Amino acid sequence: MSESTLFAALEQAACSGRSIRVLEQIDQPLVLPYETLRREALVLGGALRARGLEPGARVALILPDVADFIRAFFGIAAAGLVPVPLFPPAQAGDLPTFTRQSGHILDASRASAVLTSGDIAPLLDVSGASSAACILTLDALRDGPALSAAVAVTSDRTALIQFTSGSTAAPKGVMLTHGNIEANTAAIRHNLNVRPDDVGVSWLPLYHDMGLIGMLMTAVYSTANLVITSPVQFLKRPTIWLEAISKYRGTISFAPNFAYALCLRRVKPSQLAGLDLSSWRVAGCGAEPVRAETLRAFADHFASTGFRRSVFVPSYGLAEHCLAVTFATGLKVDVVDRAVLGRESRAIPVVNGSPSVTVVSCGRPVANHDVRIVDDEGHPLPERHVGRIVTRGPSVMAGYFENAGATAETLRDGWLHTGDLGYMTEGELFVCGRTKDLIIRQGRKYHPPDLESAIADVQGVRPSGVVVFGITSFNESDTVVAVLEARASSPVEDIAEHVRRRVRETAGLEIDQVIVTPPGTIPRTTSGKVRRSETRARFEAGTLVAGDRGP
Amino acid sequence: MRGGPASGPAVPSHERIEQETIEIVRRLIRRPVALGPDSELMADLGFDSLQVLELVGELEDHFNIAVPLNGLTHIRTVSQIAAEVARLVNAPEPLA
Repeated sequence: MSESTLFAALEQAACSGRSIRVLEQIDQPLVLPYETLRREALVLGGALRARGLEPGARVALILPDVADFIRAFFGIAAAGLVPVPLFPPAQAGDLPTFTRQSGHILDASRASAVLTSGDIAPLLDVSGASSAACILTLDALRDGPALSAAVAVTSDRTALIQFTSGSTAAPKGVMLTHGNIEANTAAIRHNLNVRPDDVGVSWLPLYHDMGLIGMLMTAVYSTANLVITSPVQFLKRPTIWLEAISKYRGTISFAPNFAYALCLRRVKPSQLAGLDLSSWRVAGCGAEPVRAETLRAFADHFASTGFRRSVFVPSYGLAEHCLAVTFATGLKVDVVDRAVLGRESRAIPVVNGSPSVTVVSCGRPVANHDVRIVDDEGHPLPERHVGRIVTRGPSVMAGYFENAGATAETLRDGWLHTGDLGYMTEGELFVCGRTKDLIIRQGRKYHPPDLESAIADVQGVRPSGVVVFGITSFNESDTVVAVLEARASSPVEDIAEHVRRRVRETAGLEIDQVIVTPPGTIPRTTSGKVRRSETRARFEAGTLVAGDRGP
Repeated sequence: MRGGPASGPAVPSHERIEQETIEIVRRLIRRPVALGPDSELMADLGFDSLQVLELVGELEDHFNIAVPLNGLTHIRTVSQIAAEVARLVNAPEPLA
């Protein structure tokens, strides 16, 4: 009996006669039949083996071109090697960040080779980060010699190492087996009722779990057509996402909340007329907190295109669980009492107009997987009590690569400790924040995003440039630090005092230190979100403000 | 001679390109800040990487150019962007 592996899934897709279409421009797709990908993978895999790479060795991929990434990914798989996707350099001015972060991941994964493009290879050489790995360009591997068949691996072997984004100091590599990927894609297919005649549409990065597992792997394992473009294309012209769904009759497409917000802002009314989104039956939303007001506004804005609000699928997942943990059906919210949530960590439906928090349901666990809410000691909590989200099932990672300490912290008694906080009611999961970022002061818990949004309203503060975190010290209350970027144009006197007062008034919390910085000081992800733990790390190291430029 | 989008044989001057680039950058800044050729997109104007890509999209449409995938990795200031645009306008790489 043949093992269920990445390459076996590609072989099955190859028999279907279906394809991946890669869009650079909306009307000129590059068609990659699964059968062609299968053949190319054997050539590429053979070339990698011919260079002495032994099965199980890690091969990093830095390929912003979508077609090249997919070719390389399956070539590595065919050779029994382990792909390690890395994010490519950002568009402008952030080369040092790219070389530093790539270096960290190449070191942590002990990659034997880096597979990249001709224009990125010199950037790696300059950095010296890749000293241990040989740098290969895809062009140099086109001549094979082709393997006659994929290198045999068993489904309990590592298929993929996924480094979670934004971690710099000591990045952790999530080891996923072929069995994990089979299990999670099977669960996704079951819960979303994916059929071979579905059409996936994606612009999500393939170096993140939602793009790689949720869109690419799910399409391959479902033997379904996939239309794919790059995050760069989407961010330059968000309309391409919706045009692709419209033109290719897309049925399933996932994106983070911010992408729906970006479409609201950037798709012009004049562009609505040509769109037909009536084929879209699963509009997934995950990877960051789901905001009801964004999704409602999107549904209203695009109602004339045939988009239906009922197709939203808010979801919860994480790389350590391969991807999907829960899926909702439709947009359902819980409006809970803010004070009770803060004081008692209980999510009680709000009555008589008390201050409230709106939480979107992320739905029920996928098939064959369990979700529980537990307290700090691991004991299950009753309904509507906020606690730690833990999960169990065949999608849970094998562990972090060569990091027994972090693995033991995260995988305990058969349960994956997600690091996220949430509550359940009537079998549905509501996600409230992350344990790591939680601030605890005098026994009371504060969620940094709440404090940050309060500060964002203070005059003179850049709304997108606020980070709040706690510094934990043994046996003492957390020290609370707020870092904010002041608007360069309109300086406001005593801005720190205004910030303190706002947080005092809205949350009853005294901030210990307010750091006012010029725009661009706070580290951000490639998608522009502030990176809280990196900000905290730089603050603690004393390198936050001493950066390249003064005000 | 007209400047504006690079249609037809008339190639806009470097000054013209820089001026138009500054105007496009100005439209994308969400708040009024002082803006000149030496302004740094991220440090001075507070651009995040999302806004950088929005800018690239606008420049491509306005000047009818295709900015290569990693073409702006070294670029920090508005005048550097304008210089890159001028290079692409004068020696256009074939549009895909």
